[in-house]
Amino acid sequence: MIQKMISKEAIADLIKELQKEFKVFGPVKEEGGVLFKEIKDAKEICLNYSNSKIPAKSVLFPMIDTLFSYEKEGKKVKIIENPPYEKTVILGIRPCDSMIFSLFKNFFSFGKYKDPYVLNRLENITLIGLGCLEPRTTCFCTSVNGGPFNKESLDVLITEFKDNYYLESSTDKGEALIKKIKSLTDADKGDLAKIEKLHKDIESLIPVIEGLDSIHTKLDGLFDHQMWKMESQGCLGCGTCTYLCPTCHCFDVLDENKKDGSGRRIRIWDTCQFPLFTLETSGHNPRSTKLPRVRQRIYHKFNYYPKNYNIIGCVGCGRCIINCPVSSDIRNIFMSVEKMSSKTEG
Amino acid sequence: MVRKIIDDIEKSIRETAKKLLEEGKVDLIIGYTKGSIPLRSRPCFITDASQTDMLVWNQSCDFNLANYLTKNDDRKIGIISKGCVGRAIVHLIVEKQLSKENITIIGIPCEGVLNRAKIMVEIGDKEIIEANIEDNKIIIKGKDFNKTLPLQDYINQLCITCHYKIPPISDIIIRDQKPEKPLKDDFKDLDEIESKSSNEKIEYFKKELNRCIRCYACREACPMCYCSLCFIDQNKPVWFGKTADISDNFIFHLIRALHVAGRCVSCGACSSVCPMGIDLNFITRKLEKIAKERFDFESGISLETPPPMGAYKFDDKQEFMIEED
Repeated sequence: MIQKMISKEAIADLIKELQKEFKVFGPVKEEGGVLFKEIKDAKEICLNYSNSKIPAKSVLFPMIDTLFSYEKEGKKVKIIENPPYEKTVILGIRPCDSMIFSLFKNFFSFGKYKDPYVLNRLENITLIGLGCLEPRTTCFCTSVNGGPFNKESLDVLITEFKDNYYLESSTDKGEALIKKIKSLTDADKGDLAKIEKLHKDIESLIPVIEGLDSIHTKLDGLFDHQMWKMESQGCLGCGTCTYLCPTCHCFDVLDENKKDGSGRRIRIWDTCQFPLFTLETSGHNPRSTKLPRVRQRIYHKFNYYPKNYNIIGCVGCGRCIINCPVSSDIRNIFMSVEKMSSKTEG
Repeated sequence: MVRKIIDDIEKSIRETAKKLLEEGKVDLIIGYTKGSIPLRSRPCFITDASQTDMLVWNQSCDFNLANYLTKNDDRKIGIISKGCVGRAIVHLIVEKQLSKENITIIGIPCEGVLNRAKIMVEIGDKEIIEANIEDNKIIIKGKDFNKTLPLQDYINQLCITCHYKIPPISDIIIRDQKPEKPLKDDFKDLDEIESKSSNEKIEYFKKELNRCIRCYACREACPMCYCSLCFIDQNKPVWFGKTADISDNFIFHLIRALHVAGRCVSCGACSSVCPMGIDLNFITRKLEKIAKERFDFESGISLETPPPMGAYKFDDKQEFMIEED
């Protein structure tokens, strides 16, 4: 582990240095919220933010992802592969959102087929996370194995302290990166102790949702429970919760053909909340109503993920709570699960 | 509307709902309850008379509850209806999507709901921890800030021009008093966008629609979007692109707008649910104006008048038709 510091004013220098070798993505203030975009000019970055509207998964798993393009050459079709993925740094990602990098790694390499697109990006992305000094009241990262300064999925963690940013490497990749940056200076030892305390203090502010670590076993017995009728009746069936969720990664594959015979194969975000997601060619739809769709979202994150990969498919960022058009709150569902499972046991 | 009146309405809503359930006149009450974060409400569905105290009424009750009425529900439903909810019900009856028989419209006077997107522009990325709406101001508290906003400036634009504060038809009216007479709708709010050149308009449309992530919250929240299969979901064969690319977004939003032309009840649900803060009412207001000017039609006002796009009249204006040589 290396610890270094940089003054806030010098962050532009750091970005410029990074840009020599990497494409740099960071939080940018846009109309409608903060989004992760490629930083062309260091001035664009906004590190004084709560959390982005759309999680940084959009860098790893873009809303529209070209898998390959094609052209017609006489009677043959010529496939044009994507250019190699450039080395990329995501600067300023929140620790909660960074958790998806391990989660996606599990999902996109599960079983026989490996997803070359996401896995290739994972290889080439370095994460410089920004510790969370002001968790929102809707945050519950500490209940899902995360934390406001959790380094687990980060290469480097930055903590804002007074007029400086403190950088701390947590992987070899991160250490190598820090070593390269000239604008960093040695960390002030006195401040480091204070930062450690700050981390603990802030972490303790986030309310812990009891029982979330064992929610998968509780859900086992509740699949057919009538609680899902209650939980789903107000749901609109839109894709807000899943599209803005850092861990949701479902997609649809489409071909876009032009008249001249050229085109591209793309994948776009899709969601289990739409009826078309499960509509089969025969016309049968195994999840034809809102109830099984609402339940699926919860089971995938809190039952299937723990069973398949031994991790919870939720990072506790609270985006689904903040953005749900009808103010549905996933924490209420946790409470219902807790209540119903204890009733069932009793 | 002053706080006290709103609180009185809330109290009456609870009492009325309780009575209706107790007397067996309805099986279900659809209303608003408190959301889990400030300035938010959520729809609630009450079947038990002891739970009616969870019903709330305030300026955060922005959602159009008519969305939860379906023609296949054979329960007797009491629905808390502000003006635009009532209009949606009327229009859905006109379009034969609902039958009035099983619906009890509990009409309430509404003086407008908040435009949350506008508030968020003011507050930025910060979290609102506490918010109180008083007579004419919104007091917002965050971790390290306090802000007082003039209420009137943050009321939805559609509510300001709204003519129908109470439903056109009601079975029960809470607070039986005509609210202040609204100004005549002169569509002045469209002046700014209408005065723009075509290029400027396109740029404005692009700026707004570029943010769309295709979550379809606007469609799902719209009481008039009830198609069992939306045109955008046609996939055998595919009719339109479904990416969040600007050209696909344009197609989706403009065609959806045309589908609600002369049907939109100006509830503003599409804009208020948008997670990206896109103001879709810049399109729907224009359509409302066209329906009014060309057909002298306002949706959801009368049970007898068919919507212009669903009716044919010999004297329909048709100057845009090209004459055959």
